[in-house]
Amino acid sequence: MGLLNPRNLVYLTSLAVLIAIYLRARAKPTLEVSSLMLFDEIAAPVVSSRVLRTDLLFWLEMAALGALSMALAGLYIRAAQPAARHEHHALVFDLGAGMGARDSNGTTRLDEARRAALRRLGAARPGDSFSVVSYALEATVSQSPSTHLDDVRRAVKALNPTGLPARPAAMRAALMRARGATEIDVYADRPPQGDALNAAGPGAHVRFHQVGSPAENLAVAALETGTDGVLPGRVIVRNFSDRPRLCELAVDLDDERVQRTTIVLEPRGQDVVLFGPLKHGGVVRARILTPDALAADNNRWAYAPGAKPDKVLVLSPDPDVRDDLARILLAVNENLIVTAADPAKFQVTRTQRYRLAVIHDSYDPGVDAAARLIVFPQPWLEHSPPPLGQLPVVGTVTMAEMQERGEGQQLSEPLQLSPARILALPRWLEVVARGTDAGSNGSFPLAAFGYDMRGAVGVISFSPRDHLLLDPDKLEALVLTVDLVKRLLAPQDLQLASTGDSVSVPATGTAKIIAPDGSLRSEAADEMGRVRLRLAQAGRYEVDSAGTKAVIYANYFDAAESDLSAALPAASPQAAGATETAFAAAPGPIQLTPLSPWLIALALAAMLWESALLARRALRWRAG
Amino acid sequence: MLEARAFEPDFLRRLDGLVLGIQRARTARSGRRMIGRVQGSGIETENFREYTEGDDLRFLDWNAFARLDDLMLRTFRAEREIEVTVLVDASASMGLPREDDKLGLALGLAASLAYVAMASNDAVRLGIFTSARHGGAQLETTPFHRRREVYPAFRPFVGAVRCTGDTRMAEAAGKLLLDRRPAGAVALISDFLVGAGEYEQALSSLLSGRHEVKVIHVLGEREANGAYPPGNYRIRDSESGELCEVALGAGAAQACRQRAERLSSELAAFCAAHGIVYVRAFGASLFDEIVMREFPRLGVVR
Repeated sequence: MGLLNPRNLVYLTSLAVLIAIYLRARAKPTLEVSSLMLFDEIAAPVVSSRVLRTDLLFWLEMAALGALSMALAGLYIRAAQPAARHEHHALVFDLGAGMGARDSNGTTRLDEARRAALRRLGAARPGDSFSVVSYALEATVSQSPSTHLDDVRRAVKALNPTGLPARPAAMRAALMRARGATEIDVYADRPPQGDALNAAGPGAHVRFHQVGSPAENLAVAALETGTDGVLPGRVIVRNFSDRPRLCELAVDLDDERVQRTTIVLEPRGQDVVLFGPLKHGGVVRARILTPDALAADNNRWAYAPGAKPDKVLVLSPDPDVRDDLARILLAVNENLIVTAADPAKFQVTRTQRYRLAVIHDSYDPGVDAAARLIVFPQPWLEHSPPPLGQLPVVGTVTMAEMQERGEGQQLSEPLQLSPARILALPRWLEVVARGTDAGSNGSFPLAAFGYDMRGAVGVISFSPRDHLLLDPDKLEALVLTVDLVKRLLAPQDLQLASTGDSVSVPATGTAKIIAPDGSLRSEAADEMGRVRLRLAQAGRYEVDSAGTKAVIYANYFDAAESDLSAALPAASPQAAGATETAFAAAPGPIQLTPLSPWLIALALAAMLWESALLARRALRWRAG
Repeated sequence: MLEARAFEPDFLRRLDGLVLGIQRARTARSGRRMIGRVQGSGIETENFREYTEGDDLRFLDWNAFARLDDLMLRTFRAEREIEVTVLVDASASMGLPREDDKLGLALGLAASLAYVAMASNDAVRLGIFTSARHGGAQLETTPFHRRREVYPAFRPFVGAVRCTGDTRMAEAAGKLLLDRRPAGAVALISDFLVGAGEYEQALSSLLSGRHEVKVIHVLGEREANGAYPPGNYRIRDSESGELCEVALGAGAAQACRQRAERLSSELAAFCAAHGIVYVRAFGASLFDEIVMREFPRLGVVR
């Protein structure tokens, strides 16, 4: 029992007022009469010194006022919800990469979870409804509540592990989606972090099933191609087991073996394996050949630019910026021939074609380049026609802060940058970083990438002056710039991304997409002539549109998800392999039942009774 | 207040045709020379005297003036006269209930009787009785007045009466007898909210003084009907200060009515037994009816 609006208890003071009125009325007034003789024959009054008379009217008024006051205060009772004949259950599955880990029998953790869920479905009472919710980077409802258990079984069987890390926030979102269910069964391969299960709501009956057993895993943590003919590439391999592991590693370049080596990794250690230098450019693949539990992190791809000495132009009015940008370009590809110039003194040569033009704080002078990186664009004069290829500048902020990179990936803490332009980006540009400034109410793009008719276009809206890109405290800005440069230098029909990223590929009409697991699906190109897809699996994607083929390599590595030695709860694993832990099971669903309607009805009844009594007394008085 | 009604000219005009109903033979007072209005054949010319300023010109003897060229005034001798005393109870009980204006009714009736008595050239005085501060009865009376021209002289006395003290009716009657005035008529106006012994002793005393006694019993409409607002009350006697708790309502009102009726009937029975005229005047609203109809009906006036 409780009160929804305890402040309204102030209305109970009306009871005190009523008592005061009755006490005052009870105090008999003194009436002075000519003589007591005339009252000799009046019967003795029934007046005594009792504190409270048993006046029915008084108690009726007390009841009416009390009931109304408690109704205003929102009196309610808490009661365990009566067992419903048909209950709703939710099955929540972790689809993180770890759920794809296989045991010695070749059974994945998701298979174990699936079997447990199917047993749960088999024990369901007729009429019970089930919903299926899954999560990895985000929560998805795979099956809305349904009493057709066959549909639910199909939805459970259709679940596949992704190449994504399972985020705690996604788990909370999934439990929120499952709210309203009588019972929620969560199947995951690692214990929930903190109070994540509380997201199911107060009183929810959540049963957590941890599936899988600790397993050993090796992973390719990083791959760098080096420079063709100049610098060797390197692969970082990591051991997630508590004992030393042999690791057989292969490095291929465009499906040609570059190196095959076996190393011993110390427990929970990592090693760097050098290879090359590569003789030519292409797609480099590093793969672990040693069998382990998780396959998604055994492959990694990278693009090695060719040794061809491509020409790159850097235009900036600031010599320091020119120098910084040239250093970064050469760090990405040492074979580049970088020309740095002041835009005021630069003369466009029609015959000169550049692989990339980096234009900082100046107009595009009409350089012939396959790709352009526009940094801190120059706004054009008001009422004047915009220069060719110039992006519309809406405003300038004195201090920008980078808050997210990629698609909604929040930085752990905002990165303070420098003055930045606020750009009204066209739709063909994909925002890859966003930020804000202290005074603004909304965010604005800090970096974007896309393709126009002249080729690839990258945009960085903040200013790299004062050696911002080389500041060790602002490494994220350098990484963002390097990624953009790499994408600009990469061929258009080849993209390398991380799982979870959204990528877009030029397409005409409908494109066929072949996922790493071999599944095929069709996707229609949008009005910008691009097909967008979210990379949920690690591996090679192929997008075929009107005879044009584009390849996307999705790399997966997450140190937390790849660690498959997550401890199980103390309870011994059950025969099915799933350990069940019940959370918040004791109280069961609690139902709050407001009593206001009953209290108001009581008040009305008391008032009607009082009115009837008064009317009867009036009639009796009139008759007397 | 109702007593003012007794001094209104239109009301007094209606009383002009009335005379006090005295049953006994009027006492002739030999040797007493009175100057008064000629009132029918009962008045005889007694003497003449010289006119002095202020005398009533109607009594000038114009024949003597024609013969003697002197202003001579005829004087008469009353054939019979009686002293009329109208006693009003001015105890505290007469002031309650205030809405009933019981004292106003009593004073109005007293003044009306005085006015009527003056028609017979009788000597009339008003008196009130209550209790004195130091104990005992307090009796206050006006001087005797005989002519209606001086009737307004009663007004200051009537207007100054305030209800206070106990009802000392018997003692007041005794004090009245101590004046050793000749036997006359005494009208006693009271609510008689006293013990039967009190008013019996008072009336018996007056009768023993050979006075012709008339009793006018006044009560307020509210107290006669018991029409108090319902509820529980603590009631206090206005004279004794005694307190009592009662529950007023329809039943109590009935009991009050019965008690007032019983009080009235007992008093009326005593009066009838002793040849006293008893008039019941319950309610100030009945003032005109009492004066114009009840008084003549019961022989108080004719």
